[in-house]
Amino acid sequence: MYHPRDIIETIAGNLRATRNPFGIPHFMVNRWWGRSKLPRQGDALLFTGLMYQFIPYIEKSTGYLSRYEDTPLSRYVGYTRYVPSYLSGLGLAMITPRREKQKMNGILNNIVRVLNASRVDFYYRPELDHYSGILLYDLGDRDTFVTHARWLADRLKKAGVRKLITVDPHTTYALKELFPKYTGSRFEVHPYFEMIQLKGGNNGRRTVALHDPCFYGRYLGLSDVPAKALAELGIDCAELERSGAYTHCCGGPAESVSPRLADDVGRRRLAQLEGTGAPIVAMCPICLGNLRKLGADVRDLSSVLVETLS
Amino acid sequence: MTMLNPDFAEELKQFSEDSALACFNCGTCAAICPLIDSHFPRSMIRYVQIGAKERILEAATELWKCLHCGLCTQTCPREANPGEIILGLKRLVLDHWRKS
Ligand code: SF4
Ligand code: SF4
Repeated sequence: MYHPRDIIETIAGNLRATRNPFGIPHFMVNRWWGRSKLPRQGDALLFTGLMYQFIPYIEKSTGYLSRYEDTPLSRYVGYTRYVPSYLSGLGLAMITPRREKQKMNGILNNIVRVLNASRVDFYYRPELDHYSGILLYDLGDRDTFVTHARWLADRLKKAGVRKLITVDPHTTYALKELFPKYTGSRFEVHPYFEMIQLKGGNNGRRTVALHDPCFYGRYLGLSDVPAKALAELGIDCAELERSGAYTHCCGGPAESVSPRLADDVGRRRLAQLEGTGAPIVAMCPICLGNLRKLGADVRDLSSVLVETLS
Repeated sequence: MTMLNPDFAEELKQFSEDSALACFNCGTCAAICPLIDSHFPRSMIRYVQIGAKERILEAATELWKCLHCGLCTQTCPREANPGEIILGLKRLVLDHWRKS
């Protein structure tokens, strides 16, 4: 386990300097929209919160962290002392594989396809799409989170944004629950699966093991919404021993302080999902990344939805 | 139940939910917590109840193993909100580290 203080100060410093936890310039992280011709005006702003875009960087940096965790070296090589050159900023951006970044960008493009197929009136403006700061909130650095959240809320308000479409549970929770409480700004926030209306699916009925992330299943009570959307398409969700309000964490949130703990918790969740014998589907980038890291074949909800379009 | 250290109770209010006194130490949270560490988070809630700030600071790094998954809060029969208390303790400890 790494010392939380080192981790928090690194992330907080990066967030203050670059508005993202890895210290990588915004234009380098957020490139998924480059080839899509998305409108800049409409009813709701598509707001990715950059979580999917961060997954390749998280995988790369935690790969290094797990090598040193609990070795004698970890005591001497404090996180902050080697992070600036290896695991933060441009150094991290350079060593993170392009292929992985493209996979995550593909997920966001799938979400766009699903929204278009549902005729949702949305727009995208990359200059407004920023990280929510949620990781620092979870790590207990409320002050840095609030400063960042106020900056972001102010930017969105000045741009006239009232309604947001989100793509992950952490950003959804931050915008829906924490922003009103800590910034005084209230937006209408919907995860994308609340907006979609798809029917049909021509592959006959099939079953998937849908992993409910803690923030959708428990904090926001939304897990029946994607399950219903899938059912409309002929896709049933396998009965899981732990789901909805009682879902089991994927372990991902422990990754920054203890990759080993993240693996232990993730393995237990994976066994439950694999026990259904059905293909595993995630709807959160952190869950997707952590379960895939354990060797599981996990698909994102958006790619399951998109393949029903024809 | 009364707190043994009222100053600590006041200090904690700046950072955390004020719900620890509702806990009657049933252990449901420790049994369900995915960390499967025998007494977490109940042990921390107990330290809060008795105002044992030093014990919390000694074991401080353990707080960051908490995934903030909310399962303990969901299952606590007394609505003591253990998950949010742990988050509040992270804030308190971080504040202590930053000031020291
Ligand atoms: S479940 Fe609630 S009442 Fe029981 S020990 Fe945990 S915090 Fe206390
Ligand atoms: S919120 Fe933390 S203490 Fe509570 S069950 Fe989850 S990991 Fe355990």
